[in-house]
Amino acid sequence: MAATLCGRLFPKSGWLPLSQSVRHGSKAVTRHRKPLHFLKQKLMAVTEYIPPTPAAPPAALAPRVRKTEEESALAVLLRKDLENLFKECKMIAVVQNNAINAEDLMVLKHKLKRHNISVKFFPNQVTRSFLSNSVYSNMLPLFVGQTVIFVSKEPKVKEMLQALKHSPQMVLLGACIENTLLSYQGILSYSRLPSMTTIQGEIVGGLTMMTSRTVSMLRHHPAHLSALLQQYVKQQGSGDSTNAVTDKETSIIQEAAA
Amino acid sequence: MAASRGAVVLKTVKKIIVQFCPFESNVRSTREFLIMVGSEKARATNMNCEVITEVKHDRSQPMIDITFLDGERLVMKGSRITTQEMLSALQTRCSAKHPQAKAGDKK
Repeated sequence: MAATLCGRLFPKSGWLPLSQSVRHGSKAVTRHRKPLHFLKQKLMAVTEYIPPTPAAPPAALAPRVRKTEEESALAVLLRKDLENLFKECKMIAVVQNNAINAEDLMVLKHKLKRHNISVKFFPNQVTRSFLSNSVYSNMLPLFVGQTVIFVSKEPKVKEMLQALKHSPQMVLLGACIENTLLSYQGILSYSRLPSMTTIQGEIVGGLTMMTSRTVSMLRHHPAHLSALLQQYVKQQGSGDSTNAVTDKETSIIQEAAA
Repeated sequence: MAASRGAVVLKTVKKIIVQFCPFESNVRSTREFLIMVGSEKARATNMNCEVITEVKHDRSQPMIDITFLDGERLVMKGSRITTQEMLSALQTRCSAKHPQAKAGDKK
């Protein structure tokens, strides 16, 4: 339809104009999204739907609890074994092995068996969990990497050191001898300690030295006197050959002086 | 835990001295490096190379001292570096020393 503007025709009030202007091209139903009328747009904006915020699911709030894995039965067995070892054996040495040969290991084991030292392998995890619960927690940092334990009931350190000299791959890290933790230098000095009897003898000798010294100091003067007299007697005897004073009298003098 | 190229090649190394104190808490990487270097494969690459370990107890930091055949020394303080870094440092230096020899061997 052609757009005709006939606003000037019949300008008297009250009369409907004869022709009304109609804009063409704006249909209600379009293929594209027709922009809303401004008023409608405002209304839609005001009355928009605000959904309620959902509460967090209970799983998100509760902290993640790590499932404590149950220890396998083998680990329990090994732990018991370790406990027994620590109770029975006086000497426990920790050694790191850098890929020792199988035959070298056999030779080493043989050498150590002669002195009743047994070589034990335990998984580090089991050892660490056992040690952290027991008194020996200071040995924990030793058990890192590939480690082997040498256990024996008698602390035979010298023999162990000699056996280890021949295998350079086994590195002695530390030992717990008679419930005392020792480092490598400690082990070396322990091996150089003399036996108990010699130490006891030394202590006894040291104690009695003081008393014997006092006794000798007390007896010093009369002993000196008697020695001088004996000398005099001898000189007299050799000069005159008349035995006026004999040894008997010197002994009497000694008793009188003491 | 293997290095990028598998075994450690020690052809150009004369001596390795590893010293650490096992009661410290920062010696893990040094000990693992020692295991890697002291393994059969690594030792098989060079039978003349000595690996010496010193166990101390004076709270000192762990240290690795490597002497190469041409006299160069590589000192690594292992308290804060990982095993991989140590291995890669050693390998780069080894390959830098003898790139031609290694290429010839591989071919």
